[in-house]
Amino acid sequence: MDMLSALAQGFAVAITPTNLALALFGCFVGTLIGALPGLGPVNGVAILIPLAFSLGLEPTSALIMLSCIYYGCMYGGRISSIMLNIPGDEPAIMTTLDGYPMAQAGKASEALAISAVASFVGATFATIGLTLFAPLLAKAAIYFGPADYFALYVMAFATIGGITSVNPFKTLLAAFIGLMIATVGLDPATGTARYTLGSFHLYDGFDPIVAIVGLFAISEVLVYLERVHEGEAKMVPLGRALPRFKDMMAGGWANFRGSVIGFVCGILPGAGASLGAFMSYIAEQRWSAKDGKFGQGDPRGIAAPEAGNNAASGGALIPMLTLGVPGSGTTAVMLALLISLNIQPGPLLFDRQPELVWGLIAALYLANVALLIMNIPMIGLFTRMLSMPQWVLMPFVVMVSFLGVYSIGHSTFDLFVMVGFGVMGYILRMLGISLVPVILGLLLGADMENNLRRALSISNGDFQILFSSPIALALYAITATMLGLAFLLAFRARRRNPAAAG
Amino acid sequence: MTDRIVGLFLLAISIWYGVTAGDYEASFGDPLGPAAFPIMLSVPAAILSLVMIVRPDEEPGWVTGKPLFLQVAAVSLLLAYAGFLEVLGFPLATFIAVALFGRILRSSWPKSILSAAVMSAVLFLTFDRLLGLPLPLLPEFVS
Repeated sequence: MDMLSALAQGFAVAITPTNLALALFGCFVGTLIGALPGLGPVNGVAILIPLAFSLGLEPTSALIMLSCIYYGCMYGGRISSIMLNIPGDEPAIMTTLDGYPMAQAGKASEALAISAVASFVGATFATIGLTLFAPLLAKAAIYFGPADYFALYVMAFATIGGITSVNPFKTLLAAFIGLMIATVGLDPATGTARYTLGSFHLYDGFDPIVAIVGLFAISEVLVYLERVHEGEAKMVPLGRALPRFKDMMAGGWANFRGSVIGFVCGILPGAGASLGAFMSYIAEQRWSAKDGKFGQGDPRGIAAPEAGNNAASGGALIPMLTLGVPGSGTTAVMLALLISLNIQPGPLLFDRQPELVWGLIAALYLANVALLIMNIPMIGLFTRMLSMPQWVLMPFVVMVSFLGVYSIGHSTFDLFVMVGFGVMGYILRMLGISLVPVILGLLLGADMENNLRRALSISNGDFQILFSSPIALALYAITATMLGLAFLLAFRARRRNPAAAG
Repeated sequence: MTDRIVGLFLLAISIWYGVTAGDYEASFGDPLGPAAFPIMLSVPAAILSLVMIVRPDEEPGWVTGKPLFLQVAAVSLLLAYAGFLEVLGFPLATFIAVALFGRILRSSWPKSILSAAVMSAVLFLTFDRLLGLPLPLLPEFVS
């Protein structure tokens, strides 16, 4: 029962006053960020990473705060889906399908309560899964050699778009763009300056956090400016302040079905919360929509995708913590945080810093309870925030981004780099090139190259070592299958819709 | 069309990237050296850029007219803010930037100026005093 004792130690870490306060702060801010349209979890976590630095927090405390923000965002994303019919973040798109019709029918508070319960069930399910599976996967990962890690990174890049991406060529290209950006700076092994164009500012390379804040937060501003002239969205009235207990439970078993599907999607590399919500909704529709009420405010149509997206976000933490390979955009951002704090995620993390891992897991259990309380009785507070005008919100987000980036190195050069990445992020988004592989490439590029070079040092330059271990071969086989599937689906979609090919 | 232009641009970058990598040499370290990994990246990146040129997607919905003007204005404002932050000091630079940003987001002058005043004061006090992140207070020509 060393798992239970480890978890008990984790709770001892999590309930120190500082960590508890940070967890509650994270839950609150996270829900708020999730609720505000256009400010998704990636943005929220990215903007607040520099803040965690300027507070001078311990690594464990910083990780607890940001994970609670992450969980909070996932809870909060549904609020604007239901109240405004605008998803607060990408995974909450599916929640608009039944959530908004239900709110229009005068049952907004019931819809919010059902989705809060679903979020709680999904997130708790995933946290239990994290407790059980993460140590197992970490044990297996100890057998990974440098060649296997290289294969793992190849798999992560090849599958990050998942089988859902529209154009797999572009997703792959995005990963290469990220990897190419990652090689800028001094080569760690030999000290050769690469692609610095003679500028000493670039000797350290691009700070991933500066790039992330630019790519996501600044590009979001540009996306918003496209439709600024369309005016603000109308909010439906909340209805009764506190829904009846029976109404809250209307999701029923859909909560659990959604959780299981979402959790599996979360663990898969590159799938993440959006796929979790999507699959859960589709599956629930097949399972229980015999009367055809889906899309008109069916409570199960709210519960399933919400449970799915929260379970997936918890599940996505497993590959991030155990292998150092994030399964979604937000976990990629959290990996950036860990790397900045000089913590190398991976199997050794569980051995060397158990108090960090288990403290985090315990904090997530507490965060779930806190979020349930914040999201049912206190929901009125968050819905009121939705009416905050954009001309206050947008400049605020931008200024906090600038301050955060400025706090890293007190360098205006970083600020220019951030704006540059913002413009690049906007163009890539317009072209349908996903930003997550870019970030992943930027984050993992150095480590991928190191593992490749380490493997070839062992074999004295013989490339055969890359394909000699069974683990690496299995990973390449999975990679090939996933890639094949992605291309097959993309080609079929193209044939069905020939207009898109022109 | 956009896909073709961007594809061409990325193709040029990939080729330049691969060719430049060939110059990186180190007489010590490991058998692979600093050039191999970039060259390994440049080949598939160039092929994928070619795919983008040969099989472009639908034209993305670029905005024109007023929204485009607002985007250009916003980016210019952000660049100017980055450039003037240390010259003007944080409170003044932030006040000007937020006020103009409010205008870009179609708010009225009085509202923008009010939010700019509140925001620059609150952010300065929070970050400089509370969180201990030293920010330039006064313009360079004063201090």
